[in-house]
Amino acid sequence: MHERLSFYVKRESALHQLNPLTKLTLVFGLILPAFLVPFYWTPHLLLLLVVFPLAFLGKVQGEYFTAVTKLILPAAGFLFVMQALFIPGGETVLAKLWFLTLTQESLMYAFANAVRIFVMVSSFTLFMLTTHPSELMSDLTQRGLPGQFAYVIIATLQIIPQMQAKASTIIAAQRSRGLDTESSFARRVQALVPLVGPLVFGSLVEVEERAIAIEARGFTSRRPKTSLREIYDRPLDKGLRWLLILIMLASLVSRIWFS
Amino acid sequence: MPIVKLQQVTYHYPFTEKPALQDINLEVEEGEFVAVIGPNGAGKSTLCYTLAGFIPHFYKGELKGIVEVDGVLVQDSDLSDWVLKVGLVFQNPFNQISGAKYTVFEEVAFGLENSGVPRSEIIRRVEEVLQMTGIADLADRSPYSLSGGQQQRVALASILVMQPKVLVLDEPTSQMDPIGTREVFGVIRQMAEQGMTVVMAEHKVEWIAQFADRVIALWEGKIYLEGKPHEVLTDERLVEKGFGVSRYTTTARLALPRGLWQKERPLPVTLEEAVAGFSALRNARRKQG
Amino acid sequence: MKFFESLKKDFNTMTWVLIPVAIAINVVMGQIVVVLRLPVYLDSIGTMLVAALCGPWAGALTGTLSNIIWGLAIDPNAFPWWPVAFFIGLVTGICANAGLFKNLWKVIITGFLVALTAAIVSTPIAVYLYGGITASGSSFITAYLLQTGRGVIEAVFSTNFLVEPIDKISTALLAFAIIQGLSLRFVARFPRPQNIEIQAGAGRTQLWIALGVVVVLILIAVFVLVRLLTPGG
Repeated sequence: MHERLSFYVKRESALHQLNPLTKLTLVFGLILPAFLVPFYWTPHLLLLLVVFPLAFLGKVQGEYFTAVTKLILPAAGFLFVMQALFIPGGETVLAKLWFLTLTQESLMYAFANAVRIFVMVSSFTLFMLTTHPSELMSDLTQRGLPGQFAYVIIATLQIIPQMQAKASTIIAAQRSRGLDTESSFARRVQALVPLVGPLVFGSLVEVEERAIAIEARGFTSRRPKTSLREIYDRPLDKGLRWLLILIMLASLVSRIWFS
Repeated sequence: MPIVKLQQVTYHYPFTEKPALQDINLEVEEGEFVAVIGPNGAGKSTLCYTLAGFIPHFYKGELKGIVEVDGVLVQDSDLSDWVLKVGLVFQNPFNQISGAKYTVFEEVAFGLENSGVPRSEIIRRVEEVLQMTGIADLADRSPYSLSGGQQQRVALASILVMQPKVLVLDEPTSQMDPIGTREVFGVIRQMAEQGMTVVMAEHKVEWIAQFADRVIALWEGKIYLEGKPHEVLTDERLVEKGFGVSRYTTTARLALPRGLWQKERPLPVTLEEAVAGFSALRNARRKQG
Repeated sequence: MKFFESLKKDFNTMTWVLIPVAIAINVVMGQIVVVLRLPVYLDSIGTMLVAALCGPWAGALTGTLSNIIWGLAIDPNAFPWWPVAFFIGLVTGICANAGLFKNLWKVIITGFLVALTAAIVSTPIAVYLYGGITASGSSFITAYLLQTGRGVIEAVFSTNFLVEPIDKISTALLAFAIIQGLSLRFVARFPRPQNIEIQAGAGRTQLWIALGVVVVLILIAVFVLVRLLTPGG
């Protein structure tokens, strides 16, 4: 339970310099082909030839591969094992365990699915490693997203670690009074009560004052908002976005065409 | 012409029978510093919220009478326009952090962005107000990483940057340690000296005696006493009604019947006044003896 | 036009401030439950709170954002399930607007309807994105059902239907308990305080009705279970 919500790494790189919306389009420009293009090796090739090089281009390879080993690989690996064992069908039987049959077909299916998830999470991870949340939100607000959404996203990212810290403190206190995961079911359910109390009620009661505080700063103003941050949108960005939109359309068409 | 005008103001919170404010008449001149004292539940916060427009716009409930700032009635104004005229800073510094920003500089700029101020002017005004509140060195820090006193100065800066005509402070130091209190009052003193119109609810009477032009004592939603700071703060009736009284006043009041405080001398509110009074007595006795 | 006006009314400043807090409650409760090894998720308490206090669309937004953040920060496999979280918020809000968040047995019905919705919405995701087997423990049940020769859709839906109600009903009850602990004055600031006006009535009668509702739901579950366990179906 730790604050893994501040992904952004401040560096100078080609990826950092891209406009936030361009990078967001890039995320979907990777995910859609990975899921839609009917050619079997699409997600695998995307991962090796696009995602991994992008990590180096953004100079965040260290952070990215840490996330891969800690977060992405375990998740994709688990999905792979579940699917390889449990998806029925297939003719080329490789092994038989109890009531399960491992076939070449289910193995291939599971492999592609796991890599798709890998590509999806990787592209979001790279996006967040190279884009500051404020930058993204300033850009989207200037493009017409209501300012309230920017507030919700950034406030959420800041509140979660605070609440996690509070929860850890309460759980630690409970542990020192003898609670552990071996305790009886009733005991573990009871442990919820002191957690829900200070944590949930405490944070709910704060809502009123926090609402007053942001209203006092013109949160509900109907004037067009301005932004302290200046976000650049170069012709390169516009061009890249159009290219990515074309790629997404092409993968959609290929899906419909070949099935 | 007074900048703030309250006439016959009575207010009920939703679902309550008893009025939180009753028949309040109050006028504040431009540049005046008015302090509001009163026991818990006397209506200090309610009065602050009324001036700042959160009553009736945020709290709903039933507001009767006239609330006017700078010639505009509160009912005729949007809350988001009203806050440009009346700024509000309240007790809990942590809850006044917007949460929408990562640095102190951005945090202070938040209100100006919302109000549509152009970028170059935002930067100029934020830099100016950071200097004024003494937090320029914290500009790049996260507002959540600061001490209470620093956070409250950020909250003050975030309101001052919007250049309100009236500043309303609701016990701005009640959750602060002595260091934080001194930091925050340092900024408020500066505001007072620059001629800002301020209404401050506060129970630390020693500080009030130093800033205020006028003191209003609220009791059960009504104005109980009103006048010059020393007259009100040393008034005997405050004690029986459960108001907070300066310990220096209490000491001198105990000393008076024993001949340890000069009769013709007004009762002290601050440490300096008490020291001056007691030394004067000692000097007078030395001369006699 | 009327729709947009009611939408605007549902999203007041209290709503915008509550949503991040609710998302944090979802995420942190979801993690606590894992730490305490409880057999439920409870990761939509915040969503249900928002839905009851501020309406279906605010609830839907809370659910969706919670799911995305959970997917990004904690478990990447949660990502594709955001439509489920969206509908949990939406349906809770619709139920609350219809007056189904005002006493114990009505809240249980809300929980059940939400569970049903969640089971329906997650079925196509599991089937079309994952071929029926997902990265969740409950997929063992699906795998068993598939072995007995059932179709993928039937197997997945049955699994979901067996897993969801306990979690969603407990979540709804917890959210209800939390709301009951809030002061009337505080609740009045939110857009839809009328949704959670506690209905006056004999507490004991309501408890009996609540028990009755639970018994009926258990009977339905047992019926479905028996049907599933009969091979060949």
